[in-house]
Amino acid sequence: MFILSGSIPKDFFGGIWFIIQNNYPLYLEGVKYTLMISIAGTTLGLFLALLITIFRIQESDSRDNFGTRAYKRISVIMSASYVEFFRGTPMMVQAAIFFYGFAMIGIRIPILIAGIIIVTLNTAAYLTEVLRAGINSIDKGQMEAARSIGLTRGQSFRYIIFPQAIKNMVPAIGNELVVNIKDTAVLSVIGVSELFYMGKSIAGTYYRYTEAFVTVAIIYLILVLITTRILTLIVKWINIPNKTTFPTSQSNPLAVN
Amino acid sequence: MEIIRVNNLHKSFDDVEVLTDINLTIESGSVTTIIGPSGSGKSTLLRCLNQLDNVTSGTILYNDEDITSNQTNLNELRSKIGMVFQSFNLFNNLTVLDNCIIGQEKVLHRSKHKSIDNALNFLKQVGMYDFRDRKVTTLSGGQKQRVAIARTLSMNPDIILFDEPTSSLDPEMVNDVLEVMKNIISKDYTFIVVTHEMEFARDVSDRVIFMETGRIVNDGTPNEIWNINSSERLKRFLNI
Repeated sequence: MFILSGSIPKDFFGGIWFIIQNNYPLYLEGVKYTLMISIAGTTLGLFLALLITIFRIQESDSRDNFGTRAYKRISVIMSASYVEFFRGTPMMVQAAIFFYGFAMIGIRIPILIAGIIIVTLNTAAYLTEVLRAGINSIDKGQMEAARSIGLTRGQSFRYIIFPQAIKNMVPAIGNELVVNIKDTAVLSVIGVSELFYMGKSIAGTYYRYTEAFVTVAIIYLILVLITTRILTLIVKWINIPNKTTFPTSQSNPLAVN
Repeated sequence: MEIIRVNNLHKSFDDVEVLTDINLTIESGSVTTIIGPSGSGKSTLLRCLNQLDNVTSGTILYNDEDITSNQTNLNELRSKIGMVFQSFNLFNNLTVLDNCIIGQEKVLHRSKHKSIDNALNFLKQVGMYDFRDRKVTTLSGGQKQRVAIARTLSMNPDIILFDEPTSSLDPEMVNDVLEVMKNIISKDYTFIVVTHEMEFARDVSDRVIFMETGRIVNDGTPNEIWNINSSERLKRFLNI
């Protein structure tokens, strides 16, 4: 160890280059965990958010009997509380409570699984709000028309409202993935060996903190830039107008771009 | 034969009463137009008939069944009482044809094949057959409204409610849509039309209802409304 830190060049860029050359397997390992946790967490979080949103958007009307009304009320309160809790506390604190809480009652959750669960729970809270906003942004007339031909509220959401809302929500969901790539760094608090954790241990090896963390920052930046480029392509692909449709002079120009 | 009977209907939004003691019977197979100034409660009355709005008090009988009761299956009811909206409200994520078949499949449980046949038939009738595979967002206002009429007809309803169907159209497209409406008038359907198109109301209605401040003020045949019973107020409204 002493020999290693002794042979590292004294200058800043030389130090970075040395660190990368000698430790890239560790950084790659960190990247692997960072991507695994953020991609799995975002995907699972989206599915969980879909489930929570169903409870979140319950609305009682004057025809409901007492039981139905109570059920809907409780659904809304529970789902709203969930969202408030996870959006209102730092993910680092949630991770610590979750991990040490289970350890305290004798359950040892594998660290990687714990990381994915925390990111999932967090993402679900944020995406529930995204989904709700997306649904609210759809013109009320769509729901009225759906109900007016006899579709149930559930069917109306499934066949009419949701397909329109999800299209508007893709950028926000992608954004959540980017945020997660960066925010997995806080999972180092429970010892998940993601990128930041690796950076910390490499820094400690050489006592060259700035160089090690600048390298980490550059890797995060590259990951995020690649991810945002891919997301931009996906959004573009989704917004390609219906291939069988050709604009005519009577077309609404806003609708075809 | 009467298909709708409204008894002592009151409707309030918060503390504002928008419909006051409405009593009304509608004959099956008839054309009724409801006219009156903006804010007179015409649209609200229409929306109570298919229960898009709940009533505050009173009853609405559809084929002698009180549809304001909790026991009514609203989805089944609405499949029989179609509605055409001022702002079209076509399903933006679906094609013209899919707009006309989704209700048939999901509500009436018709086969895909039968639903398509039925829908194409009505799309032909409203002159939108050639547009069947288009996304509805690429259509003009008049085209959208014609598709909306086909969507409603595809459910083979007993009653069709029109809520100011031409009010958000360009002047040149108004006649297009009114022509389509005249075309589909038959004894197979009961029409209740809220409109500001006075000429249309006079020409096609069996009966015209004039509403003001949430009440029915005049009720009669077009001849009675335009020529016989006209109060000063009604004459001023009709511009005669």
